[in-house]
Amino acid sequence: MTIDISFIFEAFQEICKVLPLTLFMTFTPVLLGILIGIVVAFVRIQNIKIIAPIVNFYVSFFRGTPIIMHIMLIYFGIPIVVDAVAQTLKLDFDANAIPILFFVLVALTLSAGAYASEIIRSGILGVPKGQLEAAYAVGLTFSQAMRRFILPQAFSQSIPNFTNVFIGFLHATSLAFFVSIKELTGVANIVASVNLKFLEAFIAVGLIYWGVSAVIELIAHRIEKRVTAYSKGGI
Amino acid sequence: MANDFDFMLIADVLPTLLQYLPITLEILVWSIFFGMLLGIVVALPKLLDIPVLKQIVSIYISYIRGTPILVQLFLVFYGIPALLQIIHIDVTRMDAIYFVIITYTFSNAASFAEIFRAAILTVDRGQIEAAYSVGLSRMQAFIRIVLPQAIRVAFPNMTNTMISSLKDTSLAFSIGVMDMVGRGETLIASTTRALEIYLALSIVYYVIVIVLEKVLKRNERYLNRYMQKEVATS
Repeated sequence: MTIDISFIFEAFQEICKVLPLTLFMTFTPVLLGILIGIVVAFVRIQNIKIIAPIVNFYVSFFRGTPIIMHIMLIYFGIPIVVDAVAQTLKLDFDANAIPILFFVLVALTLSAGAYASEIIRSGILGVPKGQLEAAYAVGLTFSQAMRRFILPQAFSQSIPNFTNVFIGFLHATSLAFFVSIKELTGVANIVASVNLKFLEAFIAVGLIYWGVSAVIELIAHRIEKRVTAYSKGGI
Repeated sequence: MANDFDFMLIADVLPTLLQYLPITLEILVWSIFFGMLLGIVVALPKLLDIPVLKQIVSIYISYIRGTPILVQLFLVFYGIPALLQIIHIDVTRMDAIYFVIITYTFSNAASFAEIFRAAILTVDRGQIEAAYSVGLSRMQAFIRIVLPQAIRVAFPNMTNTMISSLKDTSLAFSIGVMDMVGRGETLIASTTRALEIYLALSIVYYVIVIVLEKVLKRNERYLNRYMQKEVATS
């Protein structure tokens, strides 16, 4: 077997067509996950009764199990719940009507929420306590202090970690291939099976992921430079 | 189709799945062991500033960090037989588990190389100079002074790599390895109850990750035993 270089280009073009879907599957869950993460991080930092143990379990479970398990659990679990609910409420709704993409998005969002919450928590804890006290001293309320002082600093310090989460979830979207979503890896597999050229197709898809990861890293680096400009100087 | 959830099935399949746990752990242990060895080799060109090799290593690390492990798995699975066929070695009938171990070794090596490099660079330059001033050779200074301090710094990151590597082993089934998840897939085919089996698998992974975290945390405390209290607990 020899490697067909020209087929790599062909596969590359073919696979690139679904890049928007993969990007959508990356950014939606991570951005929603950050929202979940902020709420979860506050619950954990404030140690709110009853809810705190639940979110602690949520974070540790999602960080302690492979993402493929989350996708599979949601993919097989939600239809059972939805059907049961529809049956008891006598609704005319079939779980089969839910697109598979929705399950993947839910699974990735929940999983991103767990990872993001840890990053936000460590980011908030990384801001010196004096900052909060200074905010109180000039008469800000807790939520004002958080919004104007603590969270901006926490986020700007966490940019490298968020970059890792973005890239990690870009890679995690490749798992959607197991539930037959036509994203990058899924299409690569189809292109490969149709032409019986597996190696070439996966070389092409590897290059695409590599390129997208590099672009994300570049953008994150730019943002980091701008956002942390306030802390330039010193050491 | 009966859609009622069967809790008993989870308990029923757990022993069967646990029989295949050693295969999962085998993949993990070998890929971490070889990954560390290769990681040291990969870290050297950047640390010693060797031209050409340094660039090659950078590309290697960037590629591994820039592509999903699933794609790497397929690339190794289809690529290595194709490469070896050029020199007329037929490995197409080789057990798939070796391809998995090779992939995870490559992947772990990239992570470990970056961790080792960063850790060695955090050791203060003055430490090496102090070692030289008391007459240690370069090798002695590295092994006795730099390495113990670097390991302390590197350990938490190595822990993270090991745990994410354990979670990555769940993809080995995709190229046909009969590990825990692979056995789970066959159980799904025979029982047609996917949710219960995936839940059982998740429980097993969750428990192993927690145990692994506890063990590694204890080792971390051991490595930090010379540090001052407030540093060690932070």
